[in-house]
Amino acid sequence: MFPSSSIMSSLKAVTRVSANLFHTTAINNEVRLLTRLRVVDNSEIGKRAMMEGKPPKTIHVYNQKKVGFIGDKVMVAIKGQKKKGILVGMKQMQKPKTPRFDTNNVVLIDDNGTPLGTRIFVPIPTILRTILKEKTRSKGADYTKLLAIASRFV
Amino acid sequence: MNQAEVTKLMSQLKIALKPRHRNLKTPLGPEGRLDKLRQTVTALIKYERIELFYNRADEARGYTERLVSDALRYGDTHKPMMEMADYWLLEKQLVHKLFKVLCPRFENENGSVTKMFNAPRVYPADPKRAYFKRVVLELKGNPYPTITPDSSYRNKNLIHNVLLDAAMKDFYAEKERQQQLLEQEQTLNSVEESKK
Amino acid sequence: MLRKICKVNLIQNNLINSQYVIFRHLSAKAELNEAAESQEKKKTKKPKKALTDMRFKYPEFLPQPDNRLRNPVLERIMRKDMLDRRTQINIPEFYVGSILKLTISDPHSQGKTNSFVGICIQRDRTGLYSKFALRNVIDHQGIEVMYDLYDPAILKIEVLKLEKRLDDKLIYLKDALPEYSTIDVNMEPEILAEGGNIPVNDTVVKMKPFPWMQKWERQGLKGVEDLDKHLNLWRKQQKVKHDSPWDKYDLMKEYRKTITEEEQSEIFSEIFNRINKINEQHKQKAKAARRTISKPQNIG
Repeated sequence: MFPSSSIMSSLKAVTRVSANLFHTTAINNEVRLLTRLRVVDNSEIGKRAMMEGKPPKTIHVYNQKKVGFIGDKVMVAIKGQKKKGILVGMKQMQKPKTPRFDTNNVVLIDDNGTPLGTRIFVPIPTILRTILKEKTRSKGADYTKLLAIASRFV
Repeated sequence: MNQAEVTKLMSQLKIALKPRHRNLKTPLGPEGRLDKLRQTVTALIKYERIELFYNRADEARGYTERLVSDALRYGDTHKPMMEMADYWLLEKQLVHKLFKVLCPRFENENGSVTKMFNAPRVYPADPKRAYFKRVVLELKGNPYPTITPDSSYRNKNLIHNVLLDAAMKDFYAEKERQQQLLEQEQTLNSVEESKK
Repeated sequence: MLRKICKVNLIQNNLINSQYVIFRHLSAKAELNEAAESQEKKKTKKPKKALTDMRFKYPEFLPQPDNRLRNPVLERIMRKDMLDRRTQINIPEFYVGSILKLTISDPHSQGKTNSFVGICIQRDRTGLYSKFALRNVIDHQGIEVMYDLYDPAILKIEVLKLEKRLDDKLIYLKDALPEYSTIDVNMEPEILAEGGNIPVNDTVVKMKPFPWMQKWERQGLKGVEDLDKHLNLWRKQQKVKHDSPWDKYDLMKEYRKTITEEEQSEIFSEIFNRINKINEQHKQKAKAARRTISKPQNIG
């Protein structure tokens, strides 16, 4: 069908890009180590990282499974800094009635659970109310402050 | 666990079906499997009675049943049906047979349109294939004599039955004569021996 | 003498070998009997069209087609439970591509109820397990929610726009441009004339560039633009390699995925009377509700 030289050249082209472009497995939507996230609040550092096209990478998930689920705390590497964040929207399959988002969303917080921004741009699931209340301990970090800056719930 | 695909309506087949298909042995994959089955279905429609291995016969049986039931449902003016018949019947004249001979034949058929019988294994067999079961697959209402004896109705006055009766008579008469001959020889022998 | 004996033995052997010859009378049935039989057979009933047409409207009443997982008793019980649930809540007719508004009781939300408007992208599974998924883009964020159709938490299902699309599943909207799945949350319901055909929306969507969730180019989608311009050489070759044009001729594969006409009519004849009664009751309730709203109120 093709002359051999063109096959070789196309093969070469394929092998050169294949390492970056092609998956041999199904897409894994889980939040694991080194997963890129989307910052959805208006914190300065988050906005700048998203504008530059360098979204934060997960470098730690604060749970036993090392896989992030909705409401979990993660540590992210963002613009050369370590920041903590709460997962507020997941791309992976969810239980019925829990919304599933097109991106993995994160809201940046500090050690006390206070959000770095003042507003969340996108809707967040109502189930976060219960989850974050459960995670908040007295004399510990208060994660429910995040709910106050949400613009819309689904 | 998904929903059934119901855009196309299908009639119930009156045969026992395996829940999953068989992969017939072929290097050509699923396409090769269908090619093999096409040959069998074509042969069955053409000769109306064929003898083959069980696995392939059982697979081809379902396809034949579906083809006939669809032909009955849609008739020969339905374009997708004609395309389907054209695919499954490798010889063109068999498409005419399907619509003009088989459809009228099975119009009022309540049961299946095919029958399958166990066949004896070939002896001496090819050692590679000796293990496989053989069957006879046939269309109902074929012109051949039945495989199982039909005890429901017999007519002794039909010409072939008269001839068969005569043949049977001759056969047993000959057998008896041979028996007598044998006995005579044996008595002669015993007499000769006693003389010695 | 010896020679004679040998000869006799030979004949005997021949006889022994051939003594299994079967003599059998061949049968021939009289034509009269056959005609009588065919008349009897003609009396068998054919499934009614009104029953089998229900398969589009109530797909979840048909069991899943895999025989190994079927349980006729469980199916029957489920059908009864589904009808019982339908007496409590009006579950309207809707299809993949219709726009729904769903209100559920939600213990997590402040008002204890939560509602979501979206396009139905998928209807899945059967019986009490039947599910459907809604999709919408809110604040430039694509959101999908899966609901159980017979979930007791559902308070109200409203059909804002009743229509069908070209495909059975619209999961590809996730990778399509967001304008195709953006729906106004405060949308007014569009009322269709009763008894008419359901309109088919033949929108052809444009896809976003890579990466995609699935290999859409291999799925033979009708509601998607020509995907070749997105594909590189490798992916085009793979598409051809994994294509199976013979699949449409595989009659038994088709058969094993379906519920037959006879079985459908048996199931729907079982629920036909009751479901019509339930629908009628819901219609009357809605009428009564409309009347109470239109009453002029005396103030002061």
